[in-house]
Amino acid sequence: MVELAVPRSRNLAARLARKMRPFWFLCSPMGVICALFVTPLIILVVMSFQHYSIYNTQSGFTLDNFRVLFTDPIYRGVAKDTIMMATTAMVIQLVIALPLSYFIAFRAGRWELPLLLLLVLVDELNPIVRIYAWRMLLGREGIINDFLGWIGLIDHPLDWLLFTKFSVILVLSTSWVNYTALPIYASMKAISPHLFEAAADLGAGVFTRWRRIVIPLAAPGIFIAIILVYIPLFTDFATPGLVGGTSSYMLGNSVADLMLTTGDWGGGAALSLVLLGAMAIISVVAYFLSRLNQLD
Amino acid sequence: MTGHGEASAQAASLTGVGAIPVARRPVSDRLRRALPKYAGPIFAVAFILLLYGPLVLLAVFSFNDSIVFSLPWSGFTTKWYTEAFADTNLRSALRNSIVVASIVAPVSVILGTLSAYAITRLRFRLRGPSAMLLAAPLVVPWLVIGISALIFFSKIHMALSWNTVVLMHIVVTFPLVTVLVSARLLRFDRTQEEAAIDLGASQLQVIRYVLLPHLVPALAASAILAFSWSFNNFEITFFVGGFDQLFPVWVYSTLRHATNLPIVNAISTLVSAAEVLLVYAAYLMITWRSGARSAREKADTFIGAIR
Repeated sequence: MVELAVPRSRNLAARLARKMRPFWFLCSPMGVICALFVTPLIILVVMSFQHYSIYNTQSGFTLDNFRVLFTDPIYRGVAKDTIMMATTAMVIQLVIALPLSYFIAFRAGRWELPLLLLLVLVDELNPIVRIYAWRMLLGREGIINDFLGWIGLIDHPLDWLLFTKFSVILVLSTSWVNYTALPIYASMKAISPHLFEAAADLGAGVFTRWRRIVIPLAAPGIFIAIILVYIPLFTDFATPGLVGGTSSYMLGNSVADLMLTTGDWGGGAALSLVLLGAMAIISVVAYFLSRLNQLD
Repeated sequence: MTGHGEASAQAASLTGVGAIPVARRPVSDRLRRALPKYAGPIFAVAFILLLYGPLVLLAVFSFNDSIVFSLPWSGFTTKWYTEAFADTNLRSALRNSIVVASIVAPVSVILGTLSAYAITRLRFRLRGPSAMLLAAPLVVPWLVIGISALIFFSKIHMALSWNTVVLMHIVVTFPLVTVLVSARLLRFDRTQEEAAIDLGASQLQVIRYVLLPHLVPALAASAILAFSWSFNNFEITFFVGGFDQLFPVWVYSTLRHATNLPIVNAISTLVSAAEVLLVYAAYLMITWRSGARSAREKADTFIGAIR
């Protein structure tokens, strides 16, 4: 960062004023962040070590909330389902986004920009409406079942389309895939197409080109995509709430239920802290994986 | 090498292995040549259909004269739209959402611009940590922010209403504006500012007469996008809204109880159409006087600005 060529002021007051300038600019944004973001998070941490529910407000340090989370088989089951569904959705998105980004970056020609704009636009559409649109399609009397029955492919409606793990994974994938594709596209766009020509001249096939050029050079974008998408997948509760059944309950639903239905705020706080911790681990692992890949 | 292998394998499976061998070869040859050419476009079209198809069908079926969304078309009607606007819960949810977003957008633009300027143009010891703290609400999931806010407001005995929603939306929205405006400031040619200073302008005059005119399109676009982020936010709104329902929460709870579904179709269509128009307005704002001449530069600027 180059400093502005301000003539050095010998006046003490002016120098003080300049020293205080960052403070004047930042006091209100930082005040908002500290009051409404940092303080609530600190209270959340304190809360997770207390027995606190709407019926019982005794305070005092306890690890019970965490002990319940790690020993209760119900949470273990929900955690397993959540990890399974979030990971499957993430893998599906990467499988779609990698070739798609490659196509947009190198092959789409004049369709490159319209495709990108469509990817960006979908981000501004209401996520709940997008989930709802899928629910309308997938239902027992939904359009997909109607259509399949009408062309004679099925005799009776498919029941597994909605309120199952399938619908949750499908809707999670389509809700987030634009966030997966954009950073990967950005990192692929930086790859020089000459590299592909050189590799092809040296006899590398498609598979080798992807393994030795595309994936390593797109690794930073894949890292950003995982941070942007995999982490929110763990805390999504609107998708399982609207298109998931009892078998596709996720940890985000557990947090929402603990807070709003059971009123066990200590438990809800502890669970969301555990989720935050898991996310920190995921980001660190993803970061190091992207670094490792670059060294290859 | 591998590519051709894959293509011919796909071609073989498409034509059906074990079919009449004489007839198969030319078809598979043609397919082998055609597949790499058309696989990409077909894939891209399928992808776009996956993203937009459900919404398009939603819009189409919002005009269907039937209470269930089944295929036999029951006739064109606009009655769901009139019913949607007659629904008092929906009207108040929409009004709440619009009021909240209209407050959140300008406040976020002011806070975001202040912090973007401080981070990109001023030098001070805590610049790095400040930038990290300002970006932190973008990294922590909305679920966690939402429940920590719920606990916080109850601890300070502040009743949940659309007021608390406004406060929390500002916290998560203005860092996004910071990112947008910082990107714009970083691209701005510093020599113009230096020239102004050489001509005797104070730092505040530089901001007023050099930076702000240049930032106007980015600020207007940020305001529009901040409006849409606030309007679309579900997770935080869900936890801190109290008894005041906002639009996404109204849709969610209406669907949970599965009543009045056709009016959800109608209003969702209207809201999506309005959002498309808003994004188009943001696109025009960002590309206006951005120096981008061709459509390609315009789109590049736009995507660069809002990513």
